Amino acid sequence: MAEAHTAAQQSHGGGHVTVKTYINVAVALAILTAIEVATLYTPGIPHTLLVSALLFMSALKFFLVVGFFMHLRYDSPIMRALFVGPLIIAIAIILALLALLGAFILLPRHVP
Amino acid sequence: MADHTATHAVHDPNLGTTGLDHRKMGMWIFLGSDCMFFGSLIGTYLSYKGKSLSGPGPHDVFNIPLTSYSAALLLASSLFMVLALTRLNENRIRAAAFWLFATAAFGLHFVLNQVYEFATFALDEGLTLSTSLFGSSFFVLTGFHGAHVTGGVLWLSILMVLALRGKLDRRDYTKVEIAGLYWHFVDIVWIAIFTIVYLIP
Repeated sequence: MAEAHTAAQQSHGGGHVTVKTYINVAVALAILTAIEVATLYTPGIPHTLLVSALLFMSALKFFLVVGFFMHLRYDSPIMRALFVGPLIIAIAIILALLALLGAFILLPRHVP
Repeated sequence: MADHTATHAVHDPNLGTTGLDHRKMGMWIFLGSDCMFFGSLIGTYLSYKGKSLSGPGPHDVFNIPLTSYSAALLLASSLFMVLALTRLNENRIRAAAFWLFATAAFGLHFVLNQVYEFATFALDEGLTLSTSLFGSSFFVLTGFHGAHVTGGVLWLSILMVLALRGKLDRRDYTKVEIAGLYWHFVDIVWIAIFTIVYLIP
């Protein structure tokens, strides 16, 4: 039982990441969060660039946590598919709702 | 006898035909479905953004320093969670219990910050669930996230008590790992909410 447990643990990611790696990831997350907040208070950044930068940093933090803290980087491809598949659907839901409720209508409406 | 032991080692009842732990697989399936749940709430929030006819807007009420502090609490708690798992794997149960406590405590602090934030919005700014499209979509999205965090705090607290009572050891690694997956998930949802709801103007 213990042997099977250890084998499963090794193959599912538990034994691959060291405490040092976890601390490095946590420091990276803290730095990215600080940059995000600082970006918000920096004047003169064009809106499109600001939104793109914030979304990029957020995505980076997201994948750092999923990849290292949740061990998905080292986990079975089946586990990866079980999470990444619905994540893609979730992004599609967000885009569909935005399109459905007119968020992508860029031109002003002509009121007669 | 040796053959019997080897056979027994292979037939872990928690391992399915894929060789993967079905409890962990179940948690990943749940987290995938929760992704779609939060995707719907975030999509609705974004769709209603800027369409409120009354009441205060997002940047009239948001307290970015407080929310940034809350974000830091959740990120730190994710580190504590993996440290708890590492210590459990080393069979250092007291240390694992300490890191589980730290994770739950930071999670509780996050929830209390959110309660304070909600109370301030309602009492000082006049923003409630029924004030405007912004109010309803904001409170439902962040409220459901807060409920997830509260559930996680309870789960981690139970694990901590079990560890202190000597009812948790390294053989329970997967049980704690599953709780950790859930905890990291509430962290990544907050990473998305923090940027999309609070930071993007």
